[in-house]
Amino acid sequence: MFHRTWRRVAIAAAGLLTLTLVGACSDDAPDAKDLDGNRAGAMADYGIDKQFKATEPLSFPILYNNHPNYPLKDDWLFWSELTKRTNVKLEPVAVPLSDYEQKRSLLIGAGDAPLIIPKTYHPAENAFVSSGAILPVSDYLDLMPNLKDKIAKWNLQPEFDTLRQSDGKFYLLPGLHEKPWAEYSIAVRTDILQQLNLQIPKTWDELYTVLKAMKARYPDSYPYSDRWSKPNPGGELLSIVGAAHGIRTGWSWNPATWDPAAKKFVYTGATEQYKQVIVYLNKLVAEKLLDPESFTQTDEQARQKLANGKSFVIGSNAQTLVNDYRPDLAKTLPNAKLTKIPLLVGPAGEINPASRLENGVMISKKARDSKNFVAMMQFVDWLYYSDAGQEFAKWGVEGTTYSKDAAGKYTLNPDVDMIGLNPKGSKHLQKDFGFGNGVFSYGGRLDLVQSFFSPEEMEFQKVMNARTPLPVDPPAPLTDEEREQASLWETPLKDHVIQNTLKFILGQRPLTEWDAYVGELKAKNADQYIGLVNKAHERFEKDNG
Amino acid sequence: MVTVAPGTAGPKTPAARPASRRRRGIRPTRGYRVFQAVNAVVLTLVVVVTLYPFVNIVARSLSDEAPIIAGKVNLVPQGFNLTAYRLVMSDPMFWTNYRNTVVYTVVATAISIVLTTCYAYVLSKHQLKGRGVLVGVAVFTMFFSGGLIPNYVLITSLGMKNSIWAVVLPNAINVFNLLVMKAFFESLPVELEEAAAVDGLSTYGTLLRIVLPLSKAIIATMVLFYAVSFWNSWFTAFLYLDQQDLLPVTVYLRNLIAGATGAQSAGGVAESDAVQAAATIQAVTIVLTTLPILAVYPFIQRFFVSGVMLGAVKG
Repeated sequence: MFHRTWRRVAIAAAGLLTLTLVGACSDDAPDAKDLDGNRAGAMADYGIDKQFKATEPLSFPILYNNHPNYPLKDDWLFWSELTKRTNVKLEPVAVPLSDYEQKRSLLIGAGDAPLIIPKTYHPAENAFVSSGAILPVSDYLDLMPNLKDKIAKWNLQPEFDTLRQSDGKFYLLPGLHEKPWAEYSIAVRTDILQQLNLQIPKTWDELYTVLKAMKARYPDSYPYSDRWSKPNPGGELLSIVGAAHGIRTGWSWNPATWDPAAKKFVYTGATEQYKQVIVYLNKLVAEKLLDPESFTQTDEQARQKLANGKSFVIGSNAQTLVNDYRPDLAKTLPNAKLTKIPLLVGPAGEINPASRLENGVMISKKARDSKNFVAMMQFVDWLYYSDAGQEFAKWGVEGTTYSKDAAGKYTLNPDVDMIGLNPKGSKHLQKDFGFGNGVFSYGGRLDLVQSFFSPEEMEFQKVMNARTPLPVDPPAPLTDEEREQASLWETPLKDHVIQNTLKFILGQRPLTEWDAYVGELKAKNADQYIGLVNKAHERFEKDNG
Repeated sequence: MVTVAPGTAGPKTPAARPASRRRRGIRPTRGYRVFQAVNAVVLTLVVVVTLYPFVNIVARSLSDEAPIIAGKVNLVPQGFNLTAYRLVMSDPMFWTNYRNTVVYTVVATAISIVLTTCYAYVLSKHQLKGRGVLVGVAVFTMFFSGGLIPNYVLITSLGMKNSIWAVVLPNAINVFNLLVMKAFFESLPVELEEAAAVDGLSTYGTLLRIVLPLSKAIIATMVLFYAVSFWNSWFTAFLYLDQQDLLPVTVYLRNLIAGATGAQSAGGVAESDAVQAAATIQAVTIVLTTLPILAVYPFIQRFFVSGVMLGAVKG
């Protein structure tokens, strides 16, 4: 009963938000460069690798995404130590993780948002841009030396260009990775491989042979049964198979794919690469190597099949391997061995599809009028982008929570636990100290990102880092009206693509009808949609050189 | 979560039986017997379908982790243990939020009952001038509302944010309940109140000493309606409360389940943390959260059936 009410409220909220956003007119922004009245508490000589410390005690409200695994505590060392180092006190507005996005929309729409709004995943900030509630942070990069330094040092300009809106500015301060961090791949039962005298597969074609051998030995099984079929069916599977073919689909669905040869965008769902993805998966399903339920079942069902020995291959990341599959198997099939293998290679060659941008921070426009505005931007720069700030947010205080040897290797103090590194530790780095918190800590230097990785995961990352990153598409920012039009076209298009992808893969529609399917996409305005994107791209090129 | 529908159909069947026994000479027709058999089967199926998920959750909450993963737990707990109960009950935030839920439910129900009764009683009086307008004002809010953001701005500027009032005052009067109650009051014989007036009772005296004692059934029903909806509600609390020690247990539960299933959306978080709430923990929290309100049901149910009927038959 209350679910229905919730939905009604959600619809009302969405409708109202749209009205409010359309209704609110952008007031004249103060001159971006004139910051004379906003320097209270700021450091005059703030710079790279310099400890930020406000010249007077300051406090900033921050939207806080409250994680059920380490619920917010006021007595965390994180808060007190942060104030000690920076003279800044953060005032968290705690929002349950389950409905963070909704509350964020509400607070921004009501004009009641805290000044610092973290945990925003691009392109979620688009919805707030036209209302004028969010600060175009690209105008103020000069206040953030560490961020500028990392953009230059790690060559992140192309990535940042993808964040730009049609006015050429961006509104999100994303988390940065020195190297792309590939998380998702597949895990394989190596004991079965050994038993069948097979090598660990390196390409998707080799996987096919392996699955076939497994099927021959265990005819009753579906050797490969995948999880992660939400929010769109086969989300993760399509995503990694697509990446191997050089397109972004499934979870990472991007309707417009850049064709470097033709120097224009093409519609992803109609490309030759997309067809190859479908043909490959269709082959697996047709020969009963891939469980057709992979596209619809819940994660738990997939886990059960693996745990009961009804399947031998499953999608995985570092956590699910250690937290889900291995403990499951230890209880049901103690002799089983499961390994996450490097992402399989496809026609696109040895690439690493992961992005180097993470979720990020939005700054409320109200902050611009504050007399502490400059100090706040310096503070955000120190906490989120300086090496010292990132190390602090992730590992805590040297001597209290961790130690670091001459080689720069981090070690947790013996009584501090984290992901089971010190199971006997009486205190938990996240739960009791507030460090390693997803609100403040992500990305950074390679050695920092990997400092918690197990040797096994390091091995995986080493292979992945040796591969070429997937090139970033050139920017094609849409204007507000264009975005509206584009989503009117793209929503039914995406539905049609997903539906038919499943039909093709599951054999409900013969692959000979591919051309008819492409025709259907055209009838649903795929060409118009791509025309719009290409036009936006040309306009951006012209305006920004 | 707590549904009413199948339970209400139950008591009708036993009621029908004595009636048929009284006419001992006449055998029930064949059609009637078939109907009864079908009825019993269908109702039993409905009961099974409704009960199964709940029994399953209870079984999971009492089971070991391994059989759950292997998909072996259906109706009977496998590998009985109470570790998960101990774990959930040792979290102080769970109890803080639990206490909040109890307080919010009790206070909100009390406020709602007082306001709804007063409003409904007034509306039931035909001699009241402007009665149509007053009914219209209430009914209007059933179909139109200011929407989320204006409501939020209103509550905030009234200074009720982060206080119990933000949860218990908005929606204190449920218009549907109001109309049911109004119909009930209208069905009371007007002569009773006239007699009371002749004996010297004021309007309030009539309401308190004559009408309310006769309305126990409808009030019990309303208490149940309101209490269940306040117990289950999480959205208003989520909107207007920013401090976790003010939140009701429903938000706690929601967050717990989201944290366990939303690993992909929390990519950055998962980097360093992955201890997801185990299936048993979720089950235990669900059981502990629904249990009290379920326990209230059997005691109020007899009022519940007659209460709604009394209001409804008024033509």
